[in-house]
Amino acid sequence: MTALAPHSLDYRQQAPEVAARFERIKQRPVILSVKDLKKTFGQNGSTRTVFDGVSLDIHRREFITVIGPSGCGKSTFIRIIAGLDECNGGVALLDGKNIGEPGPDRGMVFQGYTLFPWLTVKRNVMFGIEMRGKGKFVAEAEARQWLEMVGLSKFEDAYPHELSGGMKQRVAIARALANEPRILIMDEPFGALDAQTRAQMQSYLLQIWRKVDITILFITHDLEEAAYVSDRILVMGTNPGRVVEFIENPIPRPRSPAQFVSPEYLALKMRLEELIHPPVEVEEDKLPVVKMTSAGDDVE
Amino acid sequence: MAQRDWLGLKQELPANRRLVLTVLSFLTPLILWTAVSYVPWLWHPLVHITAPGDVDYFVEDMEVPKADFAKELAKVQAAGGELPQGERVNPVYLPAPHKVARAFYTAFTTEPRLPNEPWLHESLSHSIRTICWGFLISSIFGLPLGILCGTYRFFSRLQEPFIEFFRYLPAPAFGALCVAILGIDDGPKIAIIFIGTFFQQVLVISNTVRKVDPALIEAAQTLGAKGWKLMRRVVIPASISDIYTDMRILLGWAWTYLIVAEVVGTMSGITYFINQQARYRNFDNVYAAIFMIGIIGFTSDLFLAWIGRIIFPWKRRSGSPSKLGAWFAKLLPKKPAPAVPVEA
Ligand SMILES: Nc1ncnc2c1ncn2[C@@H]1O[C@H](COP(=O)(O)OP(=O)(O)O)[C@@H](O)[C@H]1O
Ligand SMILES: [Mg+2]
Repeated sequence: MTALAPHSLDYRQQAPEVAARFERIKQRPVILSVKDLKKTFGQNGSTRTVFDGVSLDIHRREFITVIGPSGCGKSTFIRIIAGLDECNGGVALLDGKNIGEPGPDRGMVFQGYTLFPWLTVKRNVMFGIEMRGKGKFVAEAEARQWLEMVGLSKFEDAYPHELSGGMKQRVAIARALANEPRILIMDEPFGALDAQTRAQMQSYLLQIWRKVDITILFITHDLEEAAYVSDRILVMGTNPGRVVEFIENPIPRPRSPAQFVSPEYLALKMRLEELIHPPVEVEEDKLPVVKMTSAGDDVE
Repeated sequence: MAQRDWLGLKQELPANRRLVLTVLSFLTPLILWTAVSYVPWLWHPLVHITAPGDVDYFVEDMEVPKADFAKELAKVQAAGGELPQGERVNPVYLPAPHKVARAFYTAFTTEPRLPNEPWLHESLSHSIRTICWGFLISSIFGLPLGILCGTYRFFSRLQEPFIEFFRYLPAPAFGALCVAILGIDDGPKIAIIFIGTFFQQVLVISNTVRKVDPALIEAAQTLGAKGWKLMRRVVIPASISDIYTDMRILLGWAWTYLIVAEVVGTMSGITYFINQQARYRNFDNVYAAIFMIGIIGFTSDLFLAWIGRIIFPWKRRSGSPSKLGAWFAKLLPKKPAPAVPVEA
């Protein structure tokens, strides 16, 4: 353990009940296990390491968020887990087996929705179910259930372009969950939404997560979002991408926006803030001074 | 809405203004043509002699250039003879709109002059048949090949460099060859349309298929789609409406090859009709026939566009949200959902 800066609240000194909660989580089976994952781009000669030495274990029904500055390799990381990219070192195991090609056992939700525009909402959700070889009737019945879960039953015959961003993302979540994946992987799913819709979607997601037995790996660059939804937060740094810290989120569940003023929340946020936006040393004398207005020096 | 600028940069115009401009786009050339035809001092470079007067080489119904007429008139005036009379007319190759309009009907009712000459409607249907066969045969091969090339780098590398080269060979250049191989009837004509369409078709379609959003393909893969299913359920549906638009454009190109194709071997179809009518100097019929090609091409394209909107409902998005979308928006819950207690 590294020594903590005096001004940061000692968030690691978890209250006994919080420590017990995480102890219980760690008893659960490991769904996804990543060890020393490494990714480089480019051929030999001019390779660029995106990240190196990323390790984590995700237990069943855990809600993990990965947070880090843009470009630290978050998307690349989950693309490897999804099987869309290949890693250059390390291992990633799903249920103890090497992850391979993309498949329905890892449900993906992307920032760009990626709904099939030629299919209605219901057909979008049915897609994966049909791909697994189930008949149309079964698929339709199951799709309806998932749409009800995300509150979009009324829109089953709409086309994606008729929906708002938040609704599209709910369809994407339903579509991924309909495959009953082992893990739901979400890459900045609410990043394109306005603040109000995002807050609403976070609550929706927590609600769904409560009802469905699902493990979630959630990428974000919004630290308030990370603090609000997660059990544990993997903080990544850049150049090269690496794990900076793995934080156990002490905020008790059930979560609600009322906790945004609780001391645990504020302490956690402050710590995340420190990790992600390290204070910039500015030598004030060296900054060029440009007077933009005639307001003068008395303007504070 | 109505207050918006007519010239808003890249701004969609309201529907009524769009209609006005569409009508205007057809009306402008028509008005020009009408003006040149009916306003006597606009152009009218010839004089139609109604009375030859004392000019020896003038005869009635003769047409002479305006300047010649003026010169002869001046000469006769100086000599004090009988003055020639005439009215200014346009050349025979620019008939007035009403004549062409009348020809739209009369061209169909004029009996062919030669015994085995086809009627206009026979010529037209012959042309349409030629186009359809050429385009159909081209599509039977071009469509699957284009989709394959767009999907698999293997086929793209294997086919496209040659096709890219071949499409620079002008289709009409194959006329003699086609006749030698396929005879003088419809075979070589269909072949020319095929050659003119096929190579473009493969390239255009493969390009369209290549533009399918890779994120959609990845999403489908993570949902368990692969191989042939990925192709059939994602790649093709994702590009089909754009392919349809490509096909409409390609069909338009096929029409431009028609005239070239029809002079190969024995001249046939609408080209033969136009040629004969020009020979008889029935230029009103010539124009009518040319416009008919335009009208058939244009209306069939509009028809296909309309069909397209029906069979690809997800493409029915306009600048403003659709009625359906607005209706759905009303159903949206206004309040954020209440937070449900969550237990770890
Ligand atoms: N296909 C690629 N080729 C080369 N570099 C890439 C490729 N994809 C991503 N990168 C680089 O990897 C880094 C991490 O990207 P990404 O995973 O998208 O970051 P994040 O999602 O955290 O913003 C970026 O610097 C990006 O330039
Ligand atoms: Mg990213």
